[in-house]
Amino acid sequence: MSWSSTKTNEPRGDPTMATWLGWIVPGAGHLYVGAPILAAVAFMLVMGLFFVGIRLSDGMVFEFLDADLRGPIAGALTPEVGNLAGLVYYMKAYGFGPGFMRSWPEHIHLAGWLMASSGFLNVVFVVHASTLARLPKDVMPRAFAPASQLLAGWLVPGLGHFMQGRRRRAAVVFLMLVGLFVLGTVLAEGSNLDRERHFYYWSGQFMAGAPVMLLEALHGHARVTHDITYADAGLVFGCLAGLLNILCLLDVQAFGLKRVLEEAQREPAPATTTAGAAA
Amino acid sequence: MNDLVVHLLLFVLVAAVIVVCGAFYGEPDDGRALRTVPMRLAWFVGGCTLLVLVVLVIEHTFARV
Repeated sequence: MSWSSTKTNEPRGDPTMATWLGWIVPGAGHLYVGAPILAAVAFMLVMGLFFVGIRLSDGMVFEFLDADLRGPIAGALTPEVGNLAGLVYYMKAYGFGPGFMRSWPEHIHLAGWLMASSGFLNVVFVVHASTLARLPKDVMPRAFAPASQLLAGWLVPGLGHFMQGRRRRAAVVFLMLVGLFVLGTVLAEGSNLDRERHFYYWSGQFMAGAPVMLLEALHGHARVTHDITYADAGLVFGCLAGLLNILCLLDVQAFGLKRVLEEAQREPAPATTTAGAAA
Repeated sequence: MNDLVVHLLLFVLVAAVIVVCGAFYGEPDDGRALRTVPMRLAWFVGGCTLLVLVVLVIEHTFARV
């Protein structure tokens, strides 16, 4: 093996470093692995979603949190923690508000979704940067795998497995997790579909993606006017569906990464291996 | 229906979902993962039952109402 081929087969960087950098500042992981355009795209998309959310909510989303649960690390259990720079900025600039109740802006629930989604979107970019760090320069994983599969698996539980060709697993995951979430919503009579009412449980069920978004848009934020017998069970079921989807997403990520690395090893030479879009 | 029965049914349901997700996470082959589900479920339900018994014993021994 010649010196030059050895050099071009070296990985782009340390995946752990790419992960930390990308988590702390959106796009920094891509900058580290030498993909500046993707770094700019990641930064603009993640921070753009976050700041549109802040704008729509007048920075009031975390005022949903009960006063006795507020504290310096209260944001650590929210999806926004995926976008650490955004979360730190938000806590510095807005925190939990002035300390007295104010009326909510019209689109505050949409704003909450945008801010939370920016956190998960950054996780997707971090996974991509970390994958790139393991690959030689000029090698790009096909169709942004496994990050794109992770995003799909969040949007629709099971879709990430489906994209990997694991159809039986995809069907089982979809039926189980969406079924569990719908059952929880029926038991709680929709009272679970509200970040204001259940700040942290909402964070858990957020991880079940589009089905939550859809049901919340159709039914969410309704007033509770009577005792709901199985409200607590429904709340736990909804949250659990989202948390179990994290387990499924870890499976999608590990399987996808393994496949990408195997494909990269099979490729003969870096100069001919640009299989996806160039950074 | 009796409230306890409903709770038990809900528990078995959610236990099944947790166990299947755990089996998928721990085993890349779908067929093999699904074959391990009954045994994993038995362990999970058994473990939870043991935990309930311990909690009940502690409650009856120490709790003051």
